[in-house]
Amino acid sequence: MSSVVGDGTSRTGRPVREAPWAEAVFPVALTALGVFTIVDATRIFVPGSANTLGPRAFPYAVGALLVAVGVVLVIGLARGHRGDAEDSEDVDSGVGTDWPTVAKLTGSFAALVVLIEPLGWPVAATVLFGGTAWSLGARPWWRPMLVGAVLAVVVHVVFTQMLGLFLPAGPLDGVRFFG
Amino acid sequence: MGDFAALLDGFTTAVQPIYLLYALIGVTLGTAVGVLPGIGPAMTVALLLPLTYTLEPTAALIMFAGIYYGGMYGGSTTSILLNTPGESASIITALEGNAMAKAGRGAAALATAAIGSFIAGTLATVALTLLAPAIADVAVKLGPQDYVALMVVAFLTVAALLGSSPARGIAALAVGLFLGLVGTDTLTAQQRFTFGVPALADGIDVVVVAVGVFAVGEALYVASRMRRGPIPLVPISGKFMTKDDMRRSWRPWLRGTAVGFPIGTMPAGGAEVATFLSYSLERRLSKRKHEFGNGAIEGVAGPESANNAAAAGVLVPLLTLGLPTSATAAIIIAAFQSYGIRPGPLLFQNESALVWALIASLYIGNVLLLVLNLPLVGVWVKLLQIPRPYLYAGILTFAALGSYSVGASTSDVVLLFLLGVLGWTMRRFGYPIAPAVVGLILGPIAEEQLRRTLAISQGDLTALVTSPFAALAYTALVVFMVLGWWLKRRQARTEAELAAAARAESQPAVVEGGRR
Repeated sequence: MSSVVGDGTSRTGRPVREAPWAEAVFPVALTALGVFTIVDATRIFVPGSANTLGPRAFPYAVGALLVAVGVVLVIGLARGHRGDAEDSEDVDSGVGTDWPTVAKLTGSFAALVVLIEPLGWPVAATVLFGGTAWSLGARPWWRPMLVGAVLAVVVHVVFTQMLGLFLPAGPLDGVRFFG
Repeated sequence: MGDFAALLDGFTTAVQPIYLLYALIGVTLGTAVGVLPGIGPAMTVALLLPLTYTLEPTAALIMFAGIYYGGMYGGSTTSILLNTPGESASIITALEGNAMAKAGRGAAALATAAIGSFIAGTLATVALTLLAPAIADVAVKLGPQDYVALMVVAFLTVAALLGSSPARGIAALAVGLFLGLVGTDTLTAQQRFTFGVPALADGIDVVVVAVGVFAVGEALYVASRMRRGPIPLVPISGKFMTKDDMRRSWRPWLRGTAVGFPIGTMPAGGAEVATFLSYSLERRLSKRKHEFGNGAIEGVAGPESANNAAAAGVLVPLLTLGLPTSATAAIIIAAFQSYGIRPGPLLFQNESALVWALIASLYIGNVLLLVLNLPLVGVWVKLLQIPRPYLYAGILTFAALGSYSVGASTSDVVLLFLLGVLGWTMRRFGYPIAPAVVGLILGPIAEEQLRRTLAISQGDLTALVTSPFAALAYTALVVFMVLGWWLKRRQARTEAELAAAARAESQPAVVEGGRR
């Protein structure tokens, strides 16, 4: 059921399939992770009393599994066993990866990480929500910001006042209902 | 009859107004979030987990039970009313239910799904009530080597049977096992694979992983290739349920329950296989085979019931053995662990009151779902119309909230995003997510049991297979693998037939599909 519009190109004319090497990145990374796991496991200290199965054995096994499955997958890819992208309600399987949107989204997320402690959850979450919605196509820009601000404040009050979780209030610290 | 008295006690706890309220909140939120497109049951449970952080265990688990059943139910509304390919767990409902809705019988499709879910959920909860204590009694006697055997069974079946090929499932499992290694080794109290980051010393929180790979992963995946244009919603029309619909539905409801529950209890069973099996069973038994693919009510009633019965079946190994057989179950285990409760055979002895209150609230949750869903369907339709930019912005905001509130540290939020990138990559290239979450939860437990076994046997490896239960489990593993492989082939065949039928059928629909 993947592509009803399967004419091979998206509206922007990009080919649907990305470069064949793109798919090999994940298995190769798995193999590398496996090698790292095995190497790093040799540095785990084994106490003398652990005469049977020490703290290294399981990491060795996981590392070996990662290497083995990575190699099998790379060989499979070379033979043309490609994976199908997962179907999802809001995913258009007929288009290529939209890198600019992903970059904007990553930026919004980074903004939250940077802002949450100095400026508090209400501000940081507004930026995250507004930035994400804007990069996904919500216009004009102030509308998602406004929705985000309302959501962030409501969430802040509900979670800190009613559910007793901690969220940083930033400059609002000490203000009533913000903690 | 001790169990019956315990269940009654559970009911007296669960019907207290405050707990009823928590059950109601759980069911409502679970359904509301589950209805949202792109959000499956596992993501629903993971996203709503922070709500229960500060509650006492009984209240939290009662609310959680509601979220679980509500989330399972919510997905079917989405697939009936939204004209896009959805998640595989409810894809059969999507096929038949969507076809019914387009043919002007949406109301009947929603009704048969709701009533079927209620009947299947209730019957399966009865089965759970009867079966779980008996299994727990047996499970108490299991030694560490038996647990190793159970973990091996869970690992291999989950990895080999979910996803498009065994290698991909095992790759996902291996990633999960690695993530499970990060943290402090319980037996020697030293840090492993923490990269010197203090935040990793306690290990990677399961909530962060689940929310990261499911919610952030999905949001990134959708952002990278979003379906633009108007939301193709099918309006609800037609009669609620006619006598004829009822006559055609009741047998599939019962058969779906009978298929779904046992499959749910099996490792790697889960809802997906159950719905496919029920669908092909209904199609085989039906006298109106030509209607299948074009909106046969049996094709909604059976799989929907199987789906909910499997959801209850999953709780059997979860509560009695501490063995999660699906991603959702793995997150539920994480929820238990955050209260210092370890699901497993001792649960029915040590936390008897809690477990029975939980089981009682499952019955109550089912009733609430039935009462809520039919009248509230208009609200759910509104939720389906949320503009996608706002929907995914909301998902990311709640994901960030959940991961930050785990430990009030930004490093968890950074980790969340990195895991989101992992989840996106896995989705993009067809790796199943569930084995990774199961591996993360079970990996550390498996390592501990393995080391205990070998410490007791003083390094004698044969101890792993010589206990009768372990030997039985490994034999069962072989049977499961053969059975699972057969089921999978059946599923593929059904899919191929459906695809062929759809192609033959829907040449004009392709034009309509050019709506964007």
